[in-house]
Amino acid sequence: MTAYIIRRLLLLPLILFGVTLIIFGMLQLLGPDKLLAAYVNPNVFDKLSNEELEALKEKYGLNDPMVVRYAKWLNGVLHGDLGWSVVGKTYVKDALLSRIPYTAELALYAIFPVVGVGVWLGIVSAVHRDKFLDQAIRIFAVVGWSFPDFVFGLFVLMIFYSWLGWLPPGNYSDWAEDIIKSPNFHHITHILSIDALLNGRVDIFWDTIRHLIGPIMTISWLWWAYLLRITRSSMLEVLNKEYIRTARAKGLDERVVINKHAKRNALIPVTTVGGAMIINLFAGTVIVEVIFNRIGLGRFVAQAATQLDYAAIMGGALFYSTILVLGNLIIDVTYALIDPRIRLG
Amino acid sequence: MKKVLVFLLMVLATLFFAAVKNPDTIVDATIGEPDTLDPHQAYDTASGEVIYNVYENLIQYKGESLTEFEPRLATKWEVLAGGKVYKFYIRKGVKFHNGNPLTPEDVEYSFERGLILDPSDGPMWMLWEAFTGYPSLESYVKAKLGVSWSEMFDENGNLKPEYHDKLVEFYKLYIDPLVQVAGDTVIFTLAKPFGPFLNLLAQSANWAAILDKEWCISIGCWDGKAEGWWKYHDIRKEESPLYAKMNGTGPFKFVEWDRSQQKVILERNESYWREPAKIKKVIIWGIDEWSTRRAMLEKGDADIAAVPTQYLPQVEGMEGVTVIKPLPTLIVTSLHFNWTINPNSKYIGSGKLDGEGVPPDFFSDEHVRRAFICAFNYDEFIENVMHGLGRRLPTDLPEGLLGFDEALLDDPNAPRFDLDCAKEELMKAWDGKVWKNGFKLILLYNTGNDVRRTAAEMIKTYIEAINPRFHIEVRGVEWPTYLDAMRHEMLPAFIIGWLADFPDPHNFIFTYYGSKGTYGSRQGENFRKFVSTPTPELGGKSLDDLIAQAASETNPEKRKELYIEIQKFAMKHALGAPLYQGMGFRVQRTWVKGWYYNPMRPGDDYYILYKSEK
Repeated sequence: MTAYIIRRLLLLPLILFGVTLIIFGMLQLLGPDKLLAAYVNPNVFDKLSNEELEALKEKYGLNDPMVVRYAKWLNGVLHGDLGWSVVGKTYVKDALLSRIPYTAELALYAIFPVVGVGVWLGIVSAVHRDKFLDQAIRIFAVVGWSFPDFVFGLFVLMIFYSWLGWLPPGNYSDWAEDIIKSPNFHHITHILSIDALLNGRVDIFWDTIRHLIGPIMTISWLWWAYLLRITRSSMLEVLNKEYIRTARAKGLDERVVINKHAKRNALIPVTTVGGAMIINLFAGTVIVEVIFNRIGLGRFVAQAATQLDYAAIMGGALFYSTILVLGNLIIDVTYALIDPRIRLG
Repeated sequence: MKKVLVFLLMVLATLFFAAVKNPDTIVDATIGEPDTLDPHQAYDTASGEVIYNVYENLIQYKGESLTEFEPRLATKWEVLAGGKVYKFYIRKGVKFHNGNPLTPEDVEYSFERGLILDPSDGPMWMLWEAFTGYPSLESYVKAKLGVSWSEMFDENGNLKPEYHDKLVEFYKLYIDPLVQVAGDTVIFTLAKPFGPFLNLLAQSANWAAILDKEWCISIGCWDGKAEGWWKYHDIRKEESPLYAKMNGTGPFKFVEWDRSQQKVILERNESYWREPAKIKKVIIWGIDEWSTRRAMLEKGDADIAAVPTQYLPQVEGMEGVTVIKPLPTLIVTSLHFNWTINPNSKYIGSGKLDGEGVPPDFFSDEHVRRAFICAFNYDEFIENVMHGLGRRLPTDLPEGLLGFDEALLDDPNAPRFDLDCAKEELMKAWDGKVWKNGFKLILLYNTGNDVRRTAAEMIKTYIEAINPRFHIEVRGVEWPTYLDAMRHEMLPAFIIGWLADFPDPHNFIFTYYGSKGTYGSRQGENFRKFVSTPTPELGGKSLDDLIAQAASETNPEKRKELYIEIQKFAMKHALGAPLYQGMGFRVQRTWVKGWYYNPMRPGDDYYILYKSEK
């Protein structure tokens, strides 16, 4: 297995090279005139003459041939410089690094309710097949699946912020910001809630959690319906298998049948879907970030894509590719751990 | 029981008489964030707002006026030599936020640094035009040295040795003398009188903000020397040492620009030379989602909120929120035509008058233009699309500026909604060929710009109703495509807005009608030829000549007459249709006090604000 992991990791740079080359090529095909859009604020554009726009193209090297630009970019990357992000208004590296901890924090906290509750609902539904509970959960799934995520996010914001005043938007409160940004607050893990505890600031920990609940509720809503349906069908399939019948015929207690024999096998397809979901969470969720006004990767990269901010798009691609490769590797390893029939090598 | 009652009463009291939230802090929930904090590169209002509160200019507008000025960092000023020389007496005892004292040398440095930097997408062209009559440093260099800027540099951007001495000399002869220190005063010398010069210097004009010379040099700005000055010209935004650093003399100190949160934080300058501000902390926060901004305003977590016009009804009547309207802005939105469309344009169909397209010079026919101008329902648009927040204009010159004349709306050539006129004109256009064969063209708008979309759809509806052979497609494209099409003169016609750089008619008239104006130059070769060719109608002058004459005229009465003549000519030849002058509104918590309006101010002046329930 170690050899397998190393082999997969060695492939990573190659994958990254391929991905960036393709994206860069696609962007360059648009031509310098369209790429110029990234460097012009639409509000300022109205004020610029054609000569000034031409000068801008030259200033940002948009007229250079693609090979030259890619070589420059690649050279920068190898020296740790991902370029300047027009959208982030800072260096791409800093723009990504300042957002990753917040996206990761949300993902880390969201995993438990998303996977835990989603899988649990699926199992309950399968076990109580066609009974009231199953029907209720399935209706919930259909409603959840067909309900637009941004509407649900807005509901959460309206109910828990506008009406009840419990869950404000943003990443932290104004009073907390002063403390977080003071020199006395040490950023050890860069995950704010954990750092708050390490700094002995329970108040800031709670403040951070308070700001996380709304987004987590929205994300959970997005994924529960999906996950519970996968779990349910996979569970039903397993429950019809012969070895389950054997187990039951053996006179085993139903709880043991479900927990020991059925669940473990039913969770294999769930691992695939769940893994992909977690990877997705680490990539950032645009809707949640926009509605709850949170710092996050999803919104940043989406904005960069619409504005053709090529350095940010490339930086984002590098990050996402890495996450994807590592995420899938972890899923593969998890397979092998769950299912003894699978041997990696 | 009594205790419970008291408790309940207290709860009710807090519910009904909610106290002012964060009385020392103002949170402004806005859209977007600054482009840069460098006063010489910023050319958008989000940047301008931050600069306005941290840096200061020599003079400021008097309250709500656009024509009267008060001292700020200058204590008084004199206009000499028939309007060619301005002398400013610099205030003593003023300190920058880092403790350095303000000196006349700082003033000289600030202007020269800006003139040298002159970014290609920045605001410095205004000062260049005022000082020299040339629109940029590079054009001035070319005029004086006879060599273009790019020719003087090799492919690596290094100055060719043969031009070294010439450029050093250029600074000494042509840049340095523009702004000179004389004792406690600073003297500005213009090539010729420039009417709106004081407007260009007043607080609101971020390009005329006063920097701390010593501090600027210490962080890597131009060193104030003739040697090597060219290295500081037209640098990229991010290369400027002032991109995210500020040190002004203003009522607020810059604390942080948190770009991951689109948030700018300012704090009160306790050693400000006037009374310190009443507000201690200002948070300008770009929150892109309207629902989030609305919720924050409702909860009192935001004191001021940016509200898109279509959502105005949602905040009118909101408890604890005040809407102030209408506020006349200096923004004009107009429809203009391209008289020579790029033949490669994808938006003119076959490129011929065969019913499947339009020829590139379609709009050079006055009848076509007038028909389009008559096919727009101005009042309806203002009433329903703009929620009444707009006013009609005879030309692209907005109300509030010299030369605006309400009576021009009654001129027989003034733009008006009249489908009979549209029909008649289209029957006459291109000797009847348009009517007989029909035409097809595409009007573009950039997605997200709903005003442009609705205006284009309105024109489509009315024109198509006139003759079934007329076809207009309204197509939304992403911003990069729109920009590209506009630049290459691909758009048959375009709807575009102009926000005043300075409150003077020249800023609008030249922009729209001058052959070298920003929009004038985008209306095709035939348009440029038309406005630059002398005509007996204008007494043997061209429209360009008349615009130049009006700009340098110092007698306001005569100037006004010239602008009226220009506007009559523009209406007579259907040069464009001003769709509306925007009326703004302001939405704030009722506890925000002290605010007043000045249309030139970019965003808020936090110095005048305070929070109080009364």
